[in-house]
Amino acid sequence: MSPTIIVEQLSKTYKVPEREGGFGAAVRSFFKRRYKDVKAVQEVSFSIAQGEVVGFLGPNGAGKTTTLKMLSGLLHPTGGKANVLGFTPWELKTDYLRSMTLVMGQRNRLSWDIPAADSFLLAQAIYRIPDDEYRKTYKELDELLELAPLMKKPVRNLSLGERMKCEIAAGLLHRPKVLFLDEPTIGLDISGQARIREFLREYNRRTGATILLTSHYMADVTALCERIIIIHQGQLKYDGGIGNLSRRIAPFKLIGVMLAKSNGFDLSRYGEPVQNEEDAEKHYIRVKAGDVTKVTSRMLSDLPIHDITITDPPIEDVIERAFNE
Amino acid sequence: MPAIFKRLWQVNWAEQWQYRANLIMYILYWLVSPIIYLAVWTSIATANGNVSGLTANDFITYYMILLIVDQLTSNIIIHIFAYKVQDGTLSGELIKPIHPMLTSTLVNDIAFKTLNLIVLTPIWIVLVLLFKPQFDSVSISGILLSIPAILLGYMINYLLSGTITSLAFWTTRVYSIHEFYYALILLFAGQFVPLQLMPEVIQNIARFLPFQLFMYLPIQIIQGKLPTNAIVQGYITGILWFAVALMVFRLVWREGVKRYSAVGA
Repeated sequence: MSPTIIVEQLSKTYKVPEREGGFGAAVRSFFKRRYKDVKAVQEVSFSIAQGEVVGFLGPNGAGKTTTLKMLSGLLHPTGGKANVLGFTPWELKTDYLRSMTLVMGQRNRLSWDIPAADSFLLAQAIYRIPDDEYRKTYKELDELLELAPLMKKPVRNLSLGERMKCEIAAGLLHRPKVLFLDEPTIGLDISGQARIREFLREYNRRTGATILLTSHYMADVTALCERIIIIHQGQLKYDGGIGNLSRRIAPFKLIGVMLAKSNGFDLSRYGEPVQNEEDAEKHYIRVKAGDVTKVTSRMLSDLPIHDITITDPPIEDVIERAFNE
Repeated sequence: MPAIFKRLWQVNWAEQWQYRANLIMYILYWLVSPIIYLAVWTSIATANGNVSGLTANDFITYYMILLIVDQLTSNIIIHIFAYKVQDGTLSGELIKPIHPMLTSTLVNDIAFKTLNLIVLTPIWIVLVLLFKPQFDSVSISGILLSIPAILLGYMINYLLSGTITSLAFWTTRVYSIHEFYYALILLFAGQFVPLQLMPEVIQNIARFLPFQLFMYLPIQIIQGKLPTNAIVQGYITGILWFAVALMVFRLVWREGVKRYSAVGA
């Protein structure tokens, strides 16, 4: 059987107008605009078989979203080919649009002013979902995402996380065969993230759908994907099993400590100090995964420690580091 | 297909009600210009006895009918749609398996129109009491005969406005282009002045343009002021323009979407 998604030498170069600030530059640009070529995606090739769940990773600006937009048909590439379910996505054929979904994490499937329930019924009509199938799908979505309490409120009054749940559900009502998910768990709390993951895994198992997702959360990827594709600065850097990747590029953990007295201690003796903006109270160091036990016990005996945590480094850092080193 | 339109209607109808205060302001703004023309022409006709054979009552009935016909044939696509291209919200709609302009925007426009007509009705009745038009020449057959013309006028206007709105794929200046289009309507559809008072040259041009179907032609049919051959000619012109507008719209739309997806949706 041929793969569900085939991408060959796919490239996208944006022409971005540029000018200096200031009045003179504004006038000059009125007569002659200068453009800069930004190579968002460069000759990326991969293929994904039916039923695979693939994590699509890379730092901000790596070209992930651009690739997803091309595969869903929103963007014309500047070069290369793509074939999804036998369609060329950017021809925007109705039969293609009916069998895939793109969830972008912004509001785009739900109407702002009316309750989500109405948008759902509209989606049912747009995708021509028979009543019994619609009820069945909705029931499944409701079980997994607990939609019922959200359905009657106007979408503008939902929280970010609630809206995300509804967006994902709205994007799946037509039981797409291919799912492109851009940051599907962004804005959700931990249990919300877990629920979405569980839901996607279950959806994949039941329907055999092919899923390509991007995420900032390592946990999303490790929980869902056996395979990951990494792009960096528009180029494909890694395509393979997740196990190999962590061995290859992420054999590190972050140890965070909160000290009773913060000055006078030199943490660089234990590992490489790193900044963590989200948690300024703690001091963080980066340690090889194999040394974690050894280092932690040394720190616990040497230092006046209030609190200690051991975490995976954020996925973006791992990738950024792996390709900059 | 009908299921889509039914649901779209429910959604858009509910949405319109959220903005009813806006809508009343819009109606009041929109009323100003035809009522001024009505007042001006009526007072000239009253002072002179008539203007080129048109009496004060002719002007009053003309503009009273115009208020309804204009409401029926006009559209607000530019306001519903152009900003979506500019801020990128169109992306979400482009990957749905329905045509954004010919389904959701269309239903949105019709929902807006329906609510407008509901708001307009009491205002219209007050205006009738105020200006006391004599609708003697208006007949049921005239009204029935005008319905296809109004429909045709709406469809042509919709496609032409849709074409202009689609220029938003290329330029941020669609609003000023649309203003120009609107000025052409004021002139050639017979809003400034009933077309038969225009110089011969302009009347001859207007006869071959689509704009007369937006106001002048249906109004004159309703008033029973047109001979059969003029009605037939008007319909033929309308059908031809409909075909042209449809073709142009499809072409501009297709190229526009291509461009949208080339520069970064």
